[in-house]
Amino acid sequence: MSAPSAARAEVPVLAADRLTVRFGDRTALADVTLAVPRGRVVSVIGPSGGGKTTLLRAFNRMNELVPGAATTGTLRFNGVDLHGEEVDPVEVRRRIGMVFQQATLFPRSIFDNVVFGPRARGHAGDLLELAEEVLVAAGLWSEVAEDLDRPAMQLSAGQRQRLCIARTLALKPEVLLLDEPTSALDPAATARIESLIHSLRRDHTIVLATHGRRQAARLSDFTAYLAGGELIEYGPTEALFTNPRDRRTESYLTGRIA
Amino acid sequence: MSGPKHRRDGVGTACEVVAALVAAAFLAVAGVLAVEAWGAADLGFLFDPSSRVADRAGIGPALAGTLWLAALTVAFALPVGVGAAVYLEEYAPRGGVVAAAGGAVENLAGVPSVVYGVVGLALFVRGLGMGPSLLAGGCTLAALALPTVIVTTRSAIRAVPCGLREAAYSLGATRWQVVRGQVLPAAAPGIVTGSCAAVTRTVGEAAPLLVLGAVSFMTFAPRSPADPLTSLPTQVFAWSARSQEDFAAAAAGAGVALLLVLLVVNLAALAVRRRLRGIPA
Repeated sequence: MSAPSAARAEVPVLAADRLTVRFGDRTALADVTLAVPRGRVVSVIGPSGGGKTTLLRAFNRMNELVPGAATTGTLRFNGVDLHGEEVDPVEVRRRIGMVFQQATLFPRSIFDNVVFGPRARGHAGDLLELAEEVLVAAGLWSEVAEDLDRPAMQLSAGQRQRLCIARTLALKPEVLLLDEPTSALDPAATARIESLIHSLRRDHTIVLATHGRRQAARLSDFTAYLAGGELIEYGPTEALFTNPRDRRTESYLTGRIA
Repeated sequence: MSGPKHRRDGVGTACEVVAALVAAAFLAVAGVLAVEAWGAADLGFLFDPSSRVADRAGIGPALAGTLWLAALTVAFALPVGVGAAVYLEEYAPRGGVVAAAGGAVENLAGVPSVVYGVVGLALFVRGLGMGPSLLAGGCTLAALALPTVIVTTRSAIRAVPCGLREAAYSLGATRWQVVRGQVLPAAAPGIVTGSCAAVTRTVGEAAPLLVLGAVSFMTFAPRSPADPLTSLPTQVFAWSARSQEDFAAAAAGAGVALLLVLLVVNLAALAVRRRLRGIPA
């Protein structure tokens, strides 16, 4: 999955071409074509049920775990077909990390949660060192450092979400898919996650699904507006917010549709 | 261990009454058996071999036989049943064949036990040449317990929150790592409960073992699965069919012993379940 470094800058990290995802009879994503440039934050906005989650899950091949899911079109990761025969979905998920809307922790200790991915991969190095590194990166270290063996379920909602992010960072992924990471959080916890996303953009390409129009405007370089499974508009965040080309985007941004 | 406070309402009270009635019924059964068994009650009864004289008849071989059968049933039915359930739930492609297999398993759970005896006689005793041995009995009882183990394990696996699986997959776990590390531990208490119910139910069966050719007169306790097939339920049946009154006491005594064995199995399962839940959750 490597390409000459000169070409790398031009190849988008993720590219969907005429991507369609169906669950049984329901079309969740229809004919979506978009490219995620390297090192940028792309936010995906739109109403509930518009296809945001399905798009994110398509990027790390999570949809295929759902019975009845069918994907057509192509998805490329650094130019390589994600559904190519030689591509192992397990490897894809290790390089394209995902954080879910619902922070589902394993009923184990904080430490076991953080090192779950590296352990599954058979990490050779020092797990404690790695755990500290990613917990620091996720802004959780100072709150949990004194007792990593505490059950993870004892953490607050905001801490849980940061633990989920730390857990994903431990995979050392190139891409982070964040699915409405702040939708269940209060404003203070939301602010912490947002500043965390801001710091993570240095080393990662980030795709952020969000309900918060302001959050998209604050955090992202590019914004995609998805509604009814269709990509209505995609462009630089500032242009899309100040001068939307499509009337439907404008209605959504001005809050005229729910 | 302070649980949430339960409001005392009509439903709660009704449940308590029903629970008390069930407990009372169990105690009544045990009491009647104990009174009946009084004549036979001494320590020798537990260990002595069979005898033609009622006063000297013991349940040593039958008790040992039932312990062998319980162990063999668990050893065969648990790995096969849990394996099949894991395959059906986590690996098998969704669709016609799997749904059909699931339905077939549920129907098997409803097949009368005596029919399993007939199948066991043809398959294990004669077909595989095991003869009327404990091994043949264990195989037959395992086959009898298997559908229930599969059905309860599948529902325990299905009850594992979807998010747990997805979180593990999204962190680059392989299917086996997800099953081994997340699904089975989360489902384990349910699997233990269901399997325990299946095994205790089966070990109390007399009919299939009688079809296989269980013996009710043995002068030594079985020492290996190749020894002749004998068990407490078949012993109860054999003694209760005899006319002498003294053997009625012996039959009741064997019944009490069977209840005690099943009680011990249930308590063991309870202990296992508590340990499983003791893992920080």
